[in-house]
Amino acid sequence: MLQKNMTPYITTQVSAHNAKRKIAESTSTPTEFLNKYEELKSKNVRDLDPLVYLLSKLCDDDETKLYLRRNAEERAVAAGVSLTSPSTLVAQLPAPGSKITKDELEDIKARLMKETNRGTVGQSDASRRILMERQQRNVNFPVQPDWIFHRTYLTADFVNVPESHPTNVVQLGSLPVQVQEIAIIEDLLCCMEGIEGKYIRTQPLVDSYAPRHFQVDQTLEVTLKELVKRILPLCSNYSIVVRFIEEKSAFEYGLVNQALSSAMRTLIKDYLVLVAQLEHQFRQGQLSLQKFWFYIQPTARTMEILTSVANSINRGACIGGAVLSLLHEKTSSFIGDAEGQELCLYLTQAACVPYFEILEKWIYKGLIQDPYSEFLIEENESFQKEKLQEDYNDAYWELHYTICREQIPIFLERMADKILNTGKYLNVVRECGCDVKCPCAEEIVYSIKERQYYDQIEKAYNFASRLLLDLLMEEKELRARFRSIKHYFLLDQGDFVVQFMDMAEDELRKTMDHITPTRLETLLELALRTSTANVDPFKDDLRVELLSYDLVTQLFKILSIETKQEKEFRVDPTDLHLSGLEAFSFDYTVKWPLSLVLNRKALTRYQMLFRHLFYSKHVERQLCNVWLSNKSAKRYTLHSCRWYASAFALRQRMLNFVQNFLYYMMFEVIEPNWHLLEANLDSVNNIDDVLAYHTDFLNVCLNDCMLTNPELLKTVHKLLMVCVTFSNFMQRLVKTTEVEKEVPRPTQTSTLQAAPTARDRKADPGKKKATSKVVLEHVDQMAGSENFERTIAKFESNFSHLLVDLLDSIMDSVSNCENKRMTILHRLDFNGFYTEMLETASAERSMMEASALQQPPALH
Amino acid sequence: MPREIITLQLGQCGNQIGMEFWKQLCAEHGINPEGILEDFATEGTDRKDVFFYQADDEHYIPRAVLLDLEPRVINTIMNSPYRNLYNPENVYLSKDGGGAGNNWASGYHQGERLYEEVFDIIDREADGSDSLEGFVLCHSIAGGTGSGMGSYILEKLNDRFPKKLIQTYSVFPNQEEISDVVVQPYNSILTLKRLTQNADCVVVLDNTALHRIAAERLHIETPTFTQINQLVSTVMSVGTTTLRYPGYMNNDLIGLIASLIPTPRLHFLMTGYTPLTTDAQVANVRKTTVLDVMRRLLQPKNMMVSTPVHRQANHCYISILNIIQGEVDPTQVHKSLQRIRERKLAQFIPWGPASIQVALSRKSPYIQTAHRVSGLMLANHTSISTLFMRTIQQFDKLRKREAFLEQFRKEDMFRDSLDEFESSREVLQQLVDEYQAATKPNYITWASGILEKKTISCDRLTQFYSVQVR
Repeated sequence: MLQKNMTPYITTQVSAHNAKRKIAESTSTPTEFLNKYEELKSKNVRDLDPLVYLLSKLCDDDETKLYLRRNAEERAVAAGVSLTSPSTLVAQLPAPGSKITKDELEDIKARLMKETNRGTVGQSDASRRILMERQQRNVNFPVQPDWIFHRTYLTADFVNVPESHPTNVVQLGSLPVQVQEIAIIEDLLCCMEGIEGKYIRTQPLVDSYAPRHFQVDQTLEVTLKELVKRILPLCSNYSIVVRFIEEKSAFEYGLVNQALSSAMRTLIKDYLVLVAQLEHQFRQGQLSLQKFWFYIQPTARTMEILTSVANSINRGACIGGAVLSLLHEKTSSFIGDAEGQELCLYLTQAACVPYFEILEKWIYKGLIQDPYSEFLIEENESFQKEKLQEDYNDAYWELHYTICREQIPIFLERMADKILNTGKYLNVVRECGCDVKCPCAEEIVYSIKERQYYDQIEKAYNFASRLLLDLLMEEKELRARFRSIKHYFLLDQGDFVVQFMDMAEDELRKTMDHITPTRLETLLELALRTSTANVDPFKDDLRVELLSYDLVTQLFKILSIETKQEKEFRVDPTDLHLSGLEAFSFDYTVKWPLSLVLNRKALTRYQMLFRHLFYSKHVERQLCNVWLSNKSAKRYTLHSCRWYASAFALRQRMLNFVQNFLYYMMFEVIEPNWHLLEANLDSVNNIDDVLAYHTDFLNVCLNDCMLTNPELLKTVHKLLMVCVTFSNFMQRLVKTTEVEKEVPRPTQTSTLQAAPTARDRKADPGKKKATSKVVLEHVDQMAGSENFERTIAKFESNFSHLLVDLLDSIMDSVSNCENKRMTILHRLDFNGFYTEMLETASAERSMMEASALQQPPALH
Repeated sequence: MPREIITLQLGQCGNQIGMEFWKQLCAEHGINPEGILEDFATEGTDRKDVFFYQADDEHYIPRAVLLDLEPRVINTIMNSPYRNLYNPENVYLSKDGGGAGNNWASGYHQGERLYEEVFDIIDREADGSDSLEGFVLCHSIAGGTGSGMGSYILEKLNDRFPKKLIQTYSVFPNQEEISDVVVQPYNSILTLKRLTQNADCVVVLDNTALHRIAAERLHIETPTFTQINQLVSTVMSVGTTTLRYPGYMNNDLIGLIASLIPTPRLHFLMTGYTPLTTDAQVANVRKTTVLDVMRRLLQPKNMMVSTPVHRQANHCYISILNIIQGEVDPTQVHKSLQRIRERKLAQFIPWGPASIQVALSRKSPYIQTAHRVSGLMLANHTSISTLFMRTIQQFDKLRKREAFLEQFRKEDMFRDSLDEFESSREVLQQLVDEYQAATKPNYITWASGILEKKTISCDRLTQFYSVQVR
């Protein structure tokens, strides 16, 4: 429901406006709400419109309101505040939004979202970040010296010294009109400079941002008084502007505010010149109040604009980018008023200078020099690049530098992501110890119409992305890295795998706690040196890793994160019965900056693929070994026991399954996707594309290798287990027969034959131990029955059952999405051998379903 | 520690094939006739050590053993540019040099006599490899040395290296022309018994088909031995390409063979290769896509085994492995497989899952070919039994007349009785029966059906298998 409401969040002004009106209608305190809205708006809060929209939807939606009410009541009770009667609550509902502070509002929103379990994550995230930002703006600025605050006369504004009331003031009304005019002009001139006059008195301020009010002598002649009243706002404005300048020049308001103040100060200087000129005229007696009024016209306008700027900034407590946004909006709003626009443009340009300096440094050099955290990019130093090797996330790349939405000047909003990336790229290059020199580093100047800074940013972005891409692709040989990883993790270079398995198989058969990793390392090293992997320059980065969980568990762990079963899988102590084969995986050392792309997340995916492939390969080898040990059967007059054929046929079926499964994964999943990745890498422009393509590649591979579907994976794993059990059973059978065969005919054995078999015999107990406990029990049980035929039949029915299961579920999963998996179905069932079985299975199922439908569901 | 493979070349035919094979391998790996790696080939990612080893002076030496009872062919080799390639110690010529006179029994018994010397060489080669995967034997089944001595060596190899694979490339005689070897059917049947019982995988190279292919596909009226042997060497080199240019799959011989041969006796493989060209010829196959290659490979006319068409009614493929080389888009493979499946271009066994496995392999970068894609098919097809039936028929004809038996009676094995002939014939007949049975859905229970009918005592087998496991 919320989701639906969220969709039209492409908040056009219209919808926001409608929403505003709706809330205003339904609330009991419309004016208050509107005020709050304006205030928030002036503070330049992003996502305000969506929020308003959400609230308006809430007004319509009784159900949520009900919930919200309950929620609010609970909260109220907790806070010990009595709530107004429920009947008024409906009307009041949006009121909290307008009355209480923004934080509380967010709180409601957060709760609401959590409870309804719908993702408005983006929004709440953003707002949460704003909050964080507020708290984060750590005050590390230099402190202003105390004397600034002690010396009251240090201001250009009016100083309120109550006792300095002149006592001997003559009532104006008692003087002639001409004298009144002269006196009042003198007073006005004073007031324009921030000094109280004799007849125009100031009143104490309500707060430091409030406009100043004046009190004019009541006895002044009426015409003059009216004129003075028209002129006085100028003085008031002057007061505000001067206060603004003085306040914002302080350190903590940031460079943008300081620059703005300084620009205003120049304007104030002109203003004071005007005052001086007026005074000069006045001294020569040529200034009448009318003339006065005439002369100050243009200046009054300027001051008015300055004041409005100052007020807006004061109201929103804007800093940095927000100030610029505000100025930009002001500038644009003065369209048609050439002078006003020029003034605003001047202010904006001045205010932009320090901001653009930061920007230049960022997009041309990749550095942030932002002491007052005004810039739209913020650095989070808690994300270290060293962690890329360890953490299972993209935290460094994603969160080390982030955009602070509040600080984006509105005219740069469209470019924000590009700006972020530009600097990020350059920063990476810097971290690699290269000096960055952007050839197109020109000064960026703000302008309202020609968006030439867009081009400049674009240029810088292109340069930076090219630079980093070249660095990674050419200098760090990212592609060769990819290929190297493919050799090892995706078994692309088979001879190395065969060799490694030949050597390490005995070791890997042991259980976890019996394996010495150093031995494995040595074997790996040997396999690397003696196979074609030897020509790979990166072979030394390959490592051996023994994980404490097998692939299925790992996958379930990952898949169950943030679901109900999370706890079930979390309490999962290291299984010591895990055989090395199940625990084994390669690892790969990746150095900065390649670790950006080949981060832990990517490597873990590679590892999962590898373990899947590796285990399948192992099963294939086991079955081949069975083949090898059974090959002597052909020498004896055949037509023998029944299991001769059936066992071979079963082995063949298993081999067929495993090999086709491997073929499928390698030639139909990995290889085509790899080609795609290579093609995509040819056309990339920046490193984010590389990352995206690479992640895509891995995800598609994982998905198509059925590693993302726990049900399928479980079935596949069971199938492989049946194959392993079967081959262990057969192997042991042959081994025992061999031993017995030798005993009666020791004379016949040639030396050469005796040697290996003796070795085999020695190795036998060791191997027996190694086969995992489950397998052992299984074999014992099977072999104990003394009936091979039955055992084989059992294996067979087990295998067939699982395989049909697998094919069936693949069919099911295929029917509802596009999917490549169909091809494995075709591969495994190329000659239609399983089709019949499948049909029977589905027929049975539909029978079951039908019968289930007929019977009333008593169990439910 | 590669999975080494030792090649044994026996007799006239075997050595001729072998020579072409090594020529081909040398060219593919950039090794010159002297055994030295060419400059352009030093950076390769191929595996030379499966078939070669390096001598002390970095020369590459083939893991090959050359055996013959008469000097003619071996002398030719030793006078060719490749004379320095082989290890001279591995070239064994019988001292009397008289040959086997196209007599199986003579070859067999000479093999027996030379056992020590021959197996000295083989043992030395085997010891010189870290993890020997198996042997490849090249020979013909019709002559004397290749068939007789080959049979003997097969038996002994199996005894000495029971865990190693033995693959043979066996040339079957041309049955369309009258052979100068009159006892050919005798030789064939005796050899076939050994091939059935002692070899793990027999790649059948039918001279009849090879000549037909040369004439029809390559348009050579009277193909020379060299041209025929080039065909064979192509098959042999492509068949081992996945071992030498490692990729995802099939990087050991066992993985290649195991899936092709479901039951140990049905291990006679047919081959097909396309597109075929010889040196002199321009490409006569214009379009080569994966589907095209795979479709062509299924056509009987591209098969290097001649089997009569009319009897193929219920014959079927037990398994197929296609090794595709060249610039292949992996997605095409799947499409081709689908097409073949839909059109039912290949008939498969009804008693188990079977499919066309496709291994994509790299090509040697040093040899330029006119075709984008080329493919080799290794297939286990039940129609190969017709070949054996033909042999049996010819044998029966000869045997009925008791023709040419005196030569055989001279040797020990046949001095007292000719039982060996009968036993060989029975083994072969059983093989034919088993192939026939493999076309039926009840193949799995077929063996036990026979058992009930014939009640053959299977003492040895029960001894072999029926040991109880605690």
